[in-house]
Amino acid sequence: MSQALSRYTLPARPHTRGRTALIVLAVVTFTVATCIPAIGGIELDFGAIIRNWSNGSGLLAQFLQPDFSFLPRTIGPMLETLQMAVVGAFFAALVSVPLTLWAAVPTNPHAISRRLVRAVINVIRSVPDLVYATVLVAIIGVGVLPGVLTLLLFDIGIVVKLVSEAIDSADHAYMEAGRAAGGTQTQINRTTALPQTWPLFANQWLYTLELNVRISAILGIVGAGGIGRLLDERRAFYAYDDVSVIVLEILVVVVLIEVFSNYLRKRLT
Amino acid sequence: MSASASARELGLELPPPPSRLASTLTAVIVGAVVLWATAGLPIDWSDLGAIPGEILHYGALMFADPNWEKLPRALFETWRSISMAWIGAILCVLVSIPLGMLAARGVGPAWIRLPLRGVFAVIRAVPEVIIALLLLTVTGLTPFTGALALGIAGIGTQGKWVYETIESVEEGASEAVRAAGGGPAEVTRWALWPAAAPALMSFALYRFEINIRTSAVLGLVGAGGIGSMLANYTNFRQWDTVGMLLIVVVVATMTIDAISGAIRRRITQGARVRGIRRSSKGRQDVVGIR
Repeated sequence: MSQALSRYTLPARPHTRGRTALIVLAVVTFTVATCIPAIGGIELDFGAIIRNWSNGSGLLAQFLQPDFSFLPRTIGPMLETLQMAVVGAFFAALVSVPLTLWAAVPTNPHAISRRLVRAVINVIRSVPDLVYATVLVAIIGVGVLPGVLTLLLFDIGIVVKLVSEAIDSADHAYMEAGRAAGGTQTQINRTTALPQTWPLFANQWLYTLELNVRISAILGIVGAGGIGRLLDERRAFYAYDDVSVIVLEILVVVVLIEVFSNYLRKRLT
Repeated sequence: MSASASARELGLELPPPPSRLASTLTAVIVGAVVLWATAGLPIDWSDLGAIPGEILHYGALMFADPNWEKLPRALFETWRSISMAWIGAILCVLVSIPLGMLAARGVGPAWIRLPLRGVFAVIRAVPEVIIALLLLTVTGLTPFTGALALGIAGIGTQGKWVYETIESVEEGASEAVRAAGGGPAEVTRWALWPAAAPALMSFALYRFEINIRTSAVLGLVGAGGIGSMLANYTNFRQWDTVGMLLIVVVVATMTIDAISGAIRRRITQGARVRGIRRSSKGRQDVVGIR
């Protein structure tokens, strides 16, 4: 075996040991730095969890015995959550079309306005959903409206980013045809780009509807309406048998919406 | 118009235009659902006109002159949020890689695979924040328990990514190891792991990016970090500090996204070869995250 092998010179093994050591060192350093409370890191305190566990295990036991007589009271808020999700997704869909065309290279050759729209979208996307809700609740007041606005902002960010990137990476022979026929950019966008991108849009709109149901279920925690408000209220009362009913209901609704939206999206493509 | 006229002159029948019944029906149904939803919401629509003005007004309060005095404190709290996200991501990845591998077809037996997938599906279906909130009431509201909650709440999605990645690995290497007499452990170590590791590491970093956002949200409900600070100053109505905190959140999130995204590209696509142009097709074949 070795005799046969020695006739060929094997290539040298790649030298990656030093690099691996460096990567491991960097990861370990970062991890250690996140565990130093003095600079803001977190304190690894397992003792506290064990101490708290004795307080919390009762709640957990309660959580495992859902009290289904609470179910009728959850229907109204759940409907409100679904309505918020639909309204947020719909208005986001309306706004997302022009913004998307603005943010993609083939549909908007003007670099300045394109970069501007993209920068705004990136900023919008980097703020977590509940942070919007918190600030908007403080501005507008407790209610459904800040929740819907949060969903709107969140959805616009997702749809514009994903669809404009898809437009960027697609092939655009048909748009050249429009340009050769002497169309203005608006005409080209309307007659060639839009018909080609409707399936992409529809796909992402359904996806945002799906996400909205998940998010609007938690928006109520900061006072922005929907079933989250009820969940937070029952949690504050330590009525964990009711909380468990709400969580189960959210689970069922989220799964149903996912199945429905997956079915529609398969039909689309 | 003229096209169909000339076609008729030539004696050609144009095919009938496609039925628009389906799209009309869809539009009617969507319209009805949206109307029902809009009408059902308890929103005072007459207030809506005042909203843009109010948002501008408060926007000016927040961003016209942000209060930079609290910046050191904000950076401290940001690091706390990042720490929560990082530790949470490590926990999540350490648990989900072995479990996800066991849940992959061809690795774990069916009696272990199906229950695991069920657990992943249930955790996935409930919003992360709710799982984290419930855990926090049991374990106490500290940054460390926040990290634990992030770790557990992320297992559903992470586990699914792991088993999907493992299942998409080409069969060849596994067969070779099996032919050389390797058992399931050897197949996992020498065939599946080397092929899946880059994608798995990339997913791990992606989990960190997701956790950055979720940890700010957990802060809002009291787990500490930048979210808690933001919630406090929003309650105090100190808008100039809120503006500064929002700027910090945006800058920190975008910076981490950019760094982590660059590392992920490096992991999944390899070093950029200098002087050689890659075909665009080759780049599309590389596994990446959308």
